[in-house]
Amino acid sequence: MKLLMVNVGEGRYAVPADAVAQIVDPALEADFHLEDSEAVFRGERFPVFDLHAAAGERRGPAPVYLLLQGARRRAVVAVDGAESIREVSASDIAPLPAFIFARPRRAFRGVFPDGAGPRLLLDEDALL
Amino acid sequence: MSDGGADRLIGFHLDGAGAALPLAIVREVTERPRVVRVPGTHPFVSGVTLHGGVALPVYDLRRFESLWSGREDAGHRAGAADADRLIVCDWGEIALGLLGGRVDLVEDAGEARGGEGREDMRCGMSGDFVKRVLRFHGEAIALLDTDRLFASLGVPAAEPRGRRETGEDDPAGG
Repeated sequence: MKLLMVNVGEGRYAVPADAVAQIVDPALEADFHLEDSEAVFRGERFPVFDLHAAAGERRGPAPVYLLLQGARRRAVVAVDGAESIREVSASDIAPLPAFIFARPRRAFRGVFPDGAGPRLLLDEDALL
Repeated sequence: MSDGGADRLIGFHLDGAGAALPLAIVREVTERPRVVRVPGTHPFVSGVTLHGGVALPVYDLRRFESLWSGREDAGHRAGAADADRLIVCDWGEIALGLLGGRVDLVEDAGEARGGEGREDMRCGMSGDFVKRVLRFHGEAIALLDTDRLFASLGVPAAEPRGRRETGEDDPAGG
């Protein structure tokens, strides 16, 4: 499966590329702004999932925004950088045990080997 | 889960406190691997590491405050150098890792005498998680009650092999 590699603070994560409808750089896209806890893009409002807060990371000076497309709705996630898109075999992705999470809702579903160490795979279904 | 393996134990240290586990549940001891932090997990979960293609949860017992009811600095002990090893345990179908230092084989030479039940005799640990206190090379070592400890960490009870763990769905979404 194709994964978009992103970084959030010092954390390194991956998002299924199929779920990313668009990568929005506010510096280049004038029709994007944040309003309260929502993102407004081309006149449409989207809920924002604060991955920085979930990861305990401080937001960088120039975040970019992933517009995630689910079956029923769309949402926006801020990341500090989109590094690359890579093909990762599904068999290389190990599921995370549910019992390690403090709450039933969890933002990550797996982990896979990456050059500098394990990388977490975001669970876009939990966000959308 | 039986202690198995007769009286063979594996000892380790948690910030100077001696602890021991039944050797029967220990699969291996490795150097501390690269552990990736997972947001949203319990505070005593250090993260996960990949171990033979499996996501191995790594626990830092120094952060498990309930274990350290006898110490004022419970919860603030993580980060010390006394956790340079990963003790990989098999718990039913589940594997989990515990961080520790100064790992060694320990012979169960009998219970330490005097002051039984006192916190200093339990190495600063809560009696809820200590099966008994041993004396090894002049040092008090708390034999951990793995049934209670792992249950309190949220680890599902050890079950016969062949049952799939709830929540471990196909991570690729297939």
